[in-house]
Amino acid sequence: MALMKVRESNRNIPKDAKELCDRMLRDLEKGKKPLLEAIKCSLDNSFYNPKVGYLTPGKKTVKTELNVSSVQKLARTVFMLEILLNNIKTGAVNTKRELYYMAKGLVKSDRGFKALDFEEQTESDAVVEFICDMMQVYREEMNCFANDRGGQTYSQCLSVTETLLDGSKTSVDLANLGTAPFQPKNRPQSLKLKATKKIKFCLVVESEGTANTLVANGMTRRNNCIVMGAGGVPSNAVRAWCKTISDQLSVPIFFFGDLDAYTLQNIYRTLKAGSAASLIRNSDFSAPEVRFLGILPEDVRKYDLHCYSVNDKNASEARSLKKAKDALENDPFFRDKKNKDVSAILKWLIKEKIRCEQQALFSVDPKDPHKTEKIILDKIKTGSYV
Amino acid sequence: MASKIKTSSTAEYFAKNLQQVGFSSPTKAVLTTLKETVDNSLDACEEHGIQPELSIEIKKAGKGGARNTDLIEITVEDNGPGLEEAMLPKVFGEYLASSKFGRGQCSRGQQGIGISAATTWAQLTNATGVKVMSKTSRMRKAIQAVIDVDIKKNKGVVKKRESKDWDKEHGLKVTFRIDGRVQLNGDGGLLTYLEGTTLVNPHLALKYKLLDKDWVDVDRVSDDVPRVPKPTLPHPHTMKLGEFMTHALLYSNLSLSKFLKTGFSRVTDNTIKDFTKHGLPKSLLPKAVGKLAESDFKKAFQSIQETDLANPSTRSVLTVGEESLAKSILRLGEVDFFSVNTRKPKICDFKPVVVEVAVARFKDRGAKAEEQQAQLLRFANRVPLQFDKSACAITHAVESVNWRSYGLQQSRNSIPAGPYVIAVAVTSPFIKFKNASKETIDASEELVDEIRRAVMQAGQKLSRHLKREHKAADLERKLQHIEKFGPILVDGLCRITGAGKQRKEKAEEGLKKILGRDTKAAEEDLQVAEERLAVHKARQKQMIGIEGESEETPQTEADVSTKKKVAKKAAKKKVAKKKVVKKKTSKKKVATKKAAKKKVVKKKASKTARNKK
Repeated sequence: MALMKVRESNRNIPKDAKELCDRMLRDLEKGKKPLLEAIKCSLDNSFYNPKVGYLTPGKKTVKTELNVSSVQKLARTVFMLEILLNNIKTGAVNTKRELYYMAKGLVKSDRGFKALDFEEQTESDAVVEFICDMMQVYREEMNCFANDRGGQTYSQCLSVTETLLDGSKTSVDLANLGTAPFQPKNRPQSLKLKATKKIKFCLVVESEGTANTLVANGMTRRNNCIVMGAGGVPSNAVRAWCKTISDQLSVPIFFFGDLDAYTLQNIYRTLKAGSAASLIRNSDFSAPEVRFLGILPEDVRKYDLHCYSVNDKNASEARSLKKAKDALENDPFFRDKKNKDVSAILKWLIKEKIRCEQQALFSVDPKDPHKTEKIILDKIKTGSYV
Repeated sequence: MASKIKTSSTAEYFAKNLQQVGFSSPTKAVLTTLKETVDNSLDACEEHGIQPELSIEIKKAGKGGARNTDLIEITVEDNGPGLEEAMLPKVFGEYLASSKFGRGQCSRGQQGIGISAATTWAQLTNATGVKVMSKTSRMRKAIQAVIDVDIKKNKGVVKKRESKDWDKEHGLKVTFRIDGRVQLNGDGGLLTYLEGTTLVNPHLALKYKLLDKDWVDVDRVSDDVPRVPKPTLPHPHTMKLGEFMTHALLYSNLSLSKFLKTGFSRVTDNTIKDFTKHGLPKSLLPKAVGKLAESDFKKAFQSIQETDLANPSTRSVLTVGEESLAKSILRLGEVDFFSVNTRKPKICDFKPVVVEVAVARFKDRGAKAEEQQAQLLRFANRVPLQFDKSACAITHAVESVNWRSYGLQQSRNSIPAGPYVIAVAVTSPFIKFKNASKETIDASEELVDEIRRAVMQAGQKLSRHLKREHKAADLERKLQHIEKFGPILVDGLCRITGAGKQRKEKAEEGLKKILGRDTKAAEEDLQVAEERLAVHKARQKQMIGIEGESEETPQTEADVSTKKKVAKKAAKKKVAKKKVVKKKTSKKKVATKKAAKKKVVKKKASKTARNKK
């Protein structure tokens, strides 16, 4: 039973996998070393394309030729591929952790596989990732899904229609959910969105807690908007959900989070342009239209926000400062002039050695529960974002 | 107040502070007593060019006087020159009565404290001193006596003197009865001490019996008695002002310039001129040293310190030698592999020092030894150091080496693990110990660095052998890998593609062919490594004088380095010859100039030779 597609593609993964194995077998029959090639997913093979707005892979590849050192890796790859193909065939879905245990179960039941046993999950994860990179497929296309984390969404003017496996359709009007959020599953691309009223903007808040507060205080009731909690570093589901909103509703999306190097590098950049580790899927898992609403350095000055100093004598803080400097030098996203405003913020953070949390806006007028909402709306209205 | 101040004798001081000279516990007391006796025997034999033969017996003679102690009898008999009767009370019963004090020689004993302290300990714990039997070649009969220390007067007292027949031509037999406890193994054990002494004294023939165990015979592996180099004069830069003035007292009748030239090394007429340039008043030079005022000494001392001087001579240091060390290490047990390294004498902290290292892997140390720390044997002037390991320069140096790069296991900044013995010997006429009991060498930066270099060289030699082992393991691993994963890979591919039996068999054959190439390369590597080792083995046999073919012969790398050196020298000579030929063909003028220069050099050489004569 086939799952709904994560993306529009004509690829037949089981057929491609079978062809790949057949090619390997043919090479072996000829006494020739089979060679497997995968796109190198790392920063040194990442390019920022300002036209598309996300990180794209370069020409570097990781080649694995069969030899004494790689025979174990290849045997494990074929072993895991068989498990994944079986999942695709049956329509079963698993997390990486479950795949690790499934492999262990097979080893236990068949002593012939004993040599392939994974001692740690990191070993089986690496094999799953190698298969995906090599076949240039998404992990989700191999029926391997991460836990649904982040992406709690609130709106009074959004309706979501999901096509189920049997072809039937089901709709959810977010206005009818009461205080409960809507959470996109791992295949948000299969959802159809419809605005029941004209939506002015979508606000992605780094902290799910703060997103909840804004909604509880009536932000979505007073404004025709979508409020979403990212829940830290955005998962594939959150990234794809943002892209779906951006593509289908054509509304401006703003990211509201902490003013620190970590947020800019790991959360905002990933949401907007994807990551080096997911080079082959950034096209479907990034929303280049997302803008950084704040906290901005000008907000710190304007509202005299409380900041923490970043002490370079503290090992972890020194490391984050160094990472920020490295990002400015090596990360193609920050190096591109299209993102010079974001880079300027990063430079300011390195220079000032401070950080400011998103919740600091609650200090501006503690007696007014709507003050944060007012500031956010004012920022959107006055164009105070980058 | 002044009337209450009284002067104590040296013996009184040591009697109250025996812990400072190695008698801090009953266990240490036994070891120190043995050590001091053996040191004296070996020094005496070496001084007279005698090949030492020592017999040691340690037994329990009853219960000790103090709680939890035994009455231990320690007997050491040697074939040394023996002592004249008059010398017996001085040697065994008087502190600081030494023929070796401060004379700048690489002897084991230096100050004349140790053996008198052992007598004191015997006297304090068992109420009787040391029983000595001595015979020199001039005596018809041996003299036997008990020597006590007169603690108030710091004098030896002879008791129960009698003449005895002794079938030895010359020698000394010493028997102590002391309160103590016997520890055989471990860092501070008697066996460790005897092993260490055996290792760095290849010329020693030893026979020992410890408690109720059988007699053990250890044959000598070298017939050469080490020649202890002549004492060297102190270098002026190694002294403090007070020492300088005390040293001057010995030469009080001489003029200052004569004192400087005869009392120190590296001081000549030219250096004295340099002293005057650095503030030494010329008027002081002809003055008698005894008539110089304190301020004069200060001026002289300061100007000397200001002047650059040549480093002290390294001729005064003594080495065991790589060959003897190689032979000697085989006496410690069944050795799998070893490497030895003797550095050239070096100047560390203005003192000549030579460092020698032996690293050996033993076959019979059990499975536990793989994980335990290697045994570190430390030596100072060929005396084993068994206590206070952590503060010692040798330990610092061994721990600072990255042994993992040589193929040994090692936790960070610690002694490597495995069934190894790492023996490091530091020899110098002026070893700086941390304490009077001479248990630890002071860890100065220069000395630690020099020891580290020596240890690293030995480690590099050792790694060549370990590389062969790694290659063999690599080949084994590769073969195992193929056997393990090959069939699984083919099976998986066949299952996914639905391939039949025929394709499967063909693919399996192909796989073996592909992977076989890799193992073939590993096999070739191994073969090359084994061939190299075979060459080393042959050289090693030559070195330690084992004849005939034996696969079990342990391997060494020491000779390789010497041969390399010889080969390098030969290569240099060749190059030099070539240069000479080239130069001959060049302009005649240059040739004549060179000839003239050579003449000058020859003249100078003959002059210095005459001076030396």
